[in-house]
Amino acid sequence: MLKKLKRSKIKIITVLSSLFLAAFILVLIICVVTHTTLPALITSILSEEIQFAIKLSLTTAVVSTVMCIGISIPAAYALARYDFFGKSVVNTILDAPLALPPLVAGVGLLILFGTTSFGRGLADAGLTFVFTPLGIIIAQFFVNVPFMFRILRGTFQSINPRYEHVAETLGCTEAQAFWRVTLPMSKNGLLAGSIITWSKGIGEFGAALMVAGATRMKTETLPISLYLNMSCGELNLAIAAATILIIISLISLFVFERYGGFTRVF
Amino acid sequence: MIEVSDLYRDWKEFSLKDINIEIKENEYFVILGPTGAGKTLLLEIIAGFYFPDRGEVRIAGKEVTNLPPEKRRIGFIYQDYSLFPHFTVEENIEFGLKLRKSASPDTTRKRLKEIMDWLGIAHLAHRYPATLSGGEQQKVAIARAIAIEPSILLLDEPLSALDLRTKDYLREELKKIKRELGITMVHVTHDQTEAMVLADRIAVMMRGRIMQVGTPYEIFNKPQDEEIADFVGVENILSGVVRNNENGVAEIEVDLGCNIFAISDYRAGAVKLFVRPEDIILSESRGESSAKNVMKGRIEALDDMGSLTRVKMDNSLVALITKQSRESLGLQKGEEVYATFKATSVHVVR
Repeated sequence: MLKKLKRSKIKIITVLSSLFLAAFILVLIICVVTHTTLPALITSILSEEIQFAIKLSLTTAVVSTVMCIGISIPAAYALARYDFFGKSVVNTILDAPLALPPLVAGVGLLILFGTTSFGRGLADAGLTFVFTPLGIIIAQFFVNVPFMFRILRGTFQSINPRYEHVAETLGCTEAQAFWRVTLPMSKNGLLAGSIITWSKGIGEFGAALMVAGATRMKTETLPISLYLNMSCGELNLAIAAATILIIISLISLFVFERYGGFTRVF
Repeated sequence: MIEVSDLYRDWKEFSLKDINIEIKENEYFVILGPTGAGKTLLLEIIAGFYFPDRGEVRIAGKEVTNLPPEKRRIGFIYQDYSLFPHFTVEENIEFGLKLRKSASPDTTRKRLKEIMDWLGIAHLAHRYPATLSGGEQQKVAIARAIAIEPSILLLDEPLSALDLRTKDYLREELKKIKRELGITMVHVTHDQTEAMVLADRIAVMMRGRIMQVGTPYEIFNKPQDEEIADFVGVENILSGVVRNNENGVAEIEVDLGCNIFAISDYRAGAVKLFVRPEDIILSESRGESSAKNVMKGRIEALDDMGSLTRVKMDNSLVALITKQSRESLGLQKGEEVYATFKATSVHVVR
């Protein structure tokens, strides 16, 4: 027995490392969730402010996710299927927001929508992004679109174009073949991409803070609420926001693992 | 029915050069060639998935070079079947029928049932492709392709991924389709047996070019050059010089140091001789054979290939004999035998 243990020293060390890491994460989550009492937590969650934050987070994340889907489907398809001039450059640029710190992305968005004639033109047309919920949406979109794009690109690449070819011989136009064959075959990737984009949208803080600011009951999403209440000592409200964010993350992770385990995000 | 003329196309590692073929109506046409010859690309250009850089494709007299596939009414079958995984067998077969605006739900159902019964797959109707065997999947792919009543069926290595028994069975099904539906079929393969059994005519394709077009007999017995001969399994390729010619029977002195008689019009000069291994008969004595050519040799190797044995001799000749004649002759390694073949079995090229 002792001999066996000696031989698998590597096993002991690596398994202990993984247990340590798992315990660290678990303890952290438990710390947050058990910081207040259950009745206090429920009261906080039902408060007007947290209810506002929940609604704002959910809607902005849904809208930004739909935007991500809308642009990523055609863009990812192009990069998966066609060769065109500058393709590798486009590929690299589309991945860039992943590496960019969200605060930097936020500054860029603030400058684009706040100071340029493009931004002023949009504002004149009634689309004001700076310090409004629209700013939250655009921030979530910009920071998270690479996740959707990369998952869909991988999904489309994994579908042999022969399916579309056969569909065309059976009478489909190119567009019909995409709609009836390729898109349904991509449903796991679409679902996984939507989940990860949505849940990252819910948690988006840095870029949203820059563009939309942190105004109570106006641009107060769950992470902004957590930040505001933490800064002014409203610990119960802050914990309520944090707990909801944890629950959403865990559920999303579960769904993602279930349906999108095969897709590559990085 | 299908005319391809002066067609060129470069595509990644493949290229097609100067392709000219004419496929007749209701013909079973096989494109035979090694992997990487560009066979699939040619088929895909006929189907309209890719367009040629140069050249023309005509179907039933009409130019279709730039027509999209959905307007060509061609059925296409891939080696990997490409069944839509999110549809059941029935939905796969209906796919093309439903796209036709003219078809009523009633006629669609009727046609669906007809095809499934005909191919014996009705019991699979509600299964998903992932749950089917390779042979079943290929039958569904065939059903899906013929459901739209195409005038042409293109098959890309349709039997390559199947086991031997299923392969034999589906070969018969393909013959039946051609016979009963009268569809023009173009079948791409690297398998000589498949080509020999199925084809009305064969085109040999190598390195993006059509090398020779002819009946199976012509391709396998009268290959135009050494490369084709080698590919179609002519194992005896000899070099020689024509010494004499009497009434169309040439006497050719070969490198082996003997003379071989062949039916040929060549009267002089260097030539290549092709003899298929199955055309060589082995015997223990010279015997009284009407065959013109007898060569003595010692057996170097006996390779058991199931029902046939491949006999390699020290004079470089290779013969294929049946298990039965191997046993009755009691052939052993090192033994001396006589190899006999007719003058008509020797194909001579420059």
